[in-house]
Amino acid sequence: MDDLATYAENTWCPGCGNFGILSAFKRAVRRLETDGMRRQDVAITAGIGCHAKTFDYLNLSGFYSLHGRSMATAQGMKLANPRLKVVAFAGDGDAYGEGIAHMVFAAKRNADITVIVHNNGIYGLTTGQYTPTSAKGFKGPSTPDGSVEDPFNPLALMLSAGATFVARGYPGRIDHLTDLFARAISHEGFSLVDVLQPCVSFNNTYERYNASVVELGETPESFEEALAVAGRTDGVPIGVLRDVSKPTFHQEMLGGRNPAEERASVAHRREAVAAALRQ
Amino acid sequence: MEDSQRFTFLVAGEAGHGVRRAGIVAADLFGELGRYVFQMDDYQSLIRGGHNFSVVSSSTAPVLSQYLRADLAVALDARSIEKHREHLSPSGVLVYNSSATGETVPGAIGLPLSSLAKGYTYAELRLGVAAVSVLAARVGMTRSDLEGFIGRKYERDTEGNVAYALSVFDVAARSVGVTQLERGDAPATMLTGNEAIGLGAYAGGLDIYFAYPMTPASSVLHYLAAHAREFGITVVHPESEIAVMNMAIGAASVGARTAVGSSGGGVALMEEAMSLAGMSETPIMCVLSSRPGPSTGVPTYTAQADLSFALNQGHGEFARIVASPATVEEAYRIAAELMSLSWTYQVPSILLTEKHLSESRMTVGISAELPSELASIMAERGPNYARYADTETGVSPLRFAPSDAMVKWTSYEHDEKGISTEDPDMICLMQEKRRRKRDSVVEHLRGRSCVNRFGETGPLIVTYGSTTLSVLEALSCGDLEARVVQPVYLEPFPEWEFSDLDGEDAIVVEQSCDAQFSELLRRRTGLNVVASVLQYDGRPFDPEDLARRLKEVL
Repeated sequence: MDDLATYAENTWCPGCGNFGILSAFKRAVRRLETDGMRRQDVAITAGIGCHAKTFDYLNLSGFYSLHGRSMATAQGMKLANPRLKVVAFAGDGDAYGEGIAHMVFAAKRNADITVIVHNNGIYGLTTGQYTPTSAKGFKGPSTPDGSVEDPFNPLALMLSAGATFVARGYPGRIDHLTDLFARAISHEGFSLVDVLQPCVSFNNTYERYNASVVELGETPESFEEALAVAGRTDGVPIGVLRDVSKPTFHQEMLGGRNPAEERASVAHRREAVAAALRQ
Repeated sequence: MEDSQRFTFLVAGEAGHGVRRAGIVAADLFGELGRYVFQMDDYQSLIRGGHNFSVVSSSTAPVLSQYLRADLAVALDARSIEKHREHLSPSGVLVYNSSATGETVPGAIGLPLSSLAKGYTYAELRLGVAAVSVLAARVGMTRSDLEGFIGRKYERDTEGNVAYALSVFDVAARSVGVTQLERGDAPATMLTGNEAIGLGAYAGGLDIYFAYPMTPASSVLHYLAAHAREFGITVVHPESEIAVMNMAIGAASVGARTAVGSSGGGVALMEEAMSLAGMSETPIMCVLSSRPGPSTGVPTYTAQADLSFALNQGHGEFARIVASPATVEEAYRIAAELMSLSWTYQVPSILLTEKHLSESRMTVGISAELPSELASIMAERGPNYARYADTETGVSPLRFAPSDAMVKWTSYEHDEKGISTEDPDMICLMQEKRRRKRDSVVEHLRGRSCVNRFGETGPLIVTYGSTTLSVLEALSCGDLEARVVQPVYLEPFPEWEFSDLDGEDAIVVEQSCDAQFSELLRRRTGLNVVASVLQYDGRPFDPEDLARRLKEVL
């Protein structure tokens, strides 16, 4: 029996890239458990869209958030209880569209959360509109003559925002993706795993990615090198582009305190209120 | 009845003259005499220039409003002379900065305040100190008392400020005359509404405050940030109000008691997540401090035009609590109560206030005893935990990650475990569960007083929020007899406390152009609203002016 699963009925399309992402995530959790992580300490959030059904399918605590806001919810959870390993699932519309400010700022402040972006270049659940990562010329119901916008390069964007861990994976390479998830969750600080997710109904990229993904060997040594890898056009690099250490947001803000578990006592509050009234 | 002990000081000048600081210091001067104080700042949305004034009314009895007719007005620039020379009490004195105007002002006393400041650094910033010195001379403070007082109140360049203050005092003492003020026995504490809100939220259990700056709510953020360390709380200023609300909800879901605050525009950005709090049953307290809208409106002035906005926050149907305090003391109590009620019933709550209460400073008698109603959180430790367990009260036991149980909070319609559902029976069950929480809140509110009443006889006036202060002060200074009814809780609306007033004629006083509160009363009570006294110029009512307007309709 899969003790990481719930009774929720899986309603992804047969062959959806999300199956590989879910499977790699569960494998990563189990691997981390053997390394000493407690499953109870993992908390998840999700945006809205096909990716977000992951929330219902995982027997883990957390918050099924709003479209674009799972990264903000996740940062609130982490700050309130730093004991938690918080993972935010997001679609490319969530992370790079509606909620892009939260992505950029989570990276800027090095919030210790992991964001897994199910990047399929399509709004699947709303029947196939173009997204921030769709190619120019993409034809969908909102752009019948083709999108006139160039796509974001999310890896370059997040590197520039100061992300301390940036990776890209592909569910067609499950072992590789599992490694990326495990490393991202273990990373202390903001981590992004952008996952190239084929959408079999609206944007089937299996053949393209099977032919073009290239596994990176070593992690690039500098920011400039990482940026160069993110911009490569000869094949689609997957692997870790950046992995550096920096004080995290909750460490800087809390200095080791745990707001949810070490709440100011009633006696302390009474004294502090009295002192404030005397000022 | 006209209060013979009342003394109003007004200081006016440009932004950058230290006007606000002078108002605060003047309030403290009255406070040291044991007098009750009400201080109101009128300032514009700019950093330098323009026209600002701070008005401080004081007496041996409680003062519930600023008075625009001053007993002493100090004009630091030429424009302030024009703006305030007509607003003096019968025995009032206008002192002006003669260095700032070429001509002599008849009936007023000119003192060379800028010339005396020459030689000091940041001369213009010091003009406020001069205003305090003039006040000290007028109320008969001794030179040595002033020296000590300025030394305590102006921490930056104390030496220069004391020297300048004394040089102004020496010329002022020769010309402004003395009105001896009687001492009183008022409590020593003075707070603004926003300080009281921050303090009350903390007393009510606040652990993390999230906010993005927006006037006139920002000073809740500043107050809590300044006290975070000694309070043992965390204060976060993220990238936007959307982040504010979503982070606060996330933090609450793992057990930290959180609050957020903004003005109308910022709360509008939070609104989608307000609905999320409704669906996910997340306890959250939101401070909404109003200024005139719509849109950017008039940022640094006051209004009560967000009543409908507050009552109707969020799409979909869900229980929420809205309350609006009248006084600084009540702001403290209501902030604490709303934190508690939000957590008891797992609903969002809104503390609706307005610039007038948020930023006005007054003498308060707040006890450090914490409110008795601290939230009793139902916790459940069983193995088969369900976040949204269906209960008689609609309130499900809480449990927080990390936990051996699966604790799922969600924006989707859901089953008891928090797994998404589209099942019609489950949708009904959850809609009804959430509806029952509103009934439970009503039941709770019925067990306590939600409406303040003042006065026993006379015609009926209904008002709310800090306009209550204006009404009570107007009745007092205008020698008018009336009963005043002020609902503190506005949602759920305490209809049961109005039933004895069914069919009575009522005069409504509010700071709105659309008379939103009058409409609410027509809809929710049996009152016969015969007149609405409205003000919507961004300025709080002046009690003498309001008394005149009330006389016309009473």
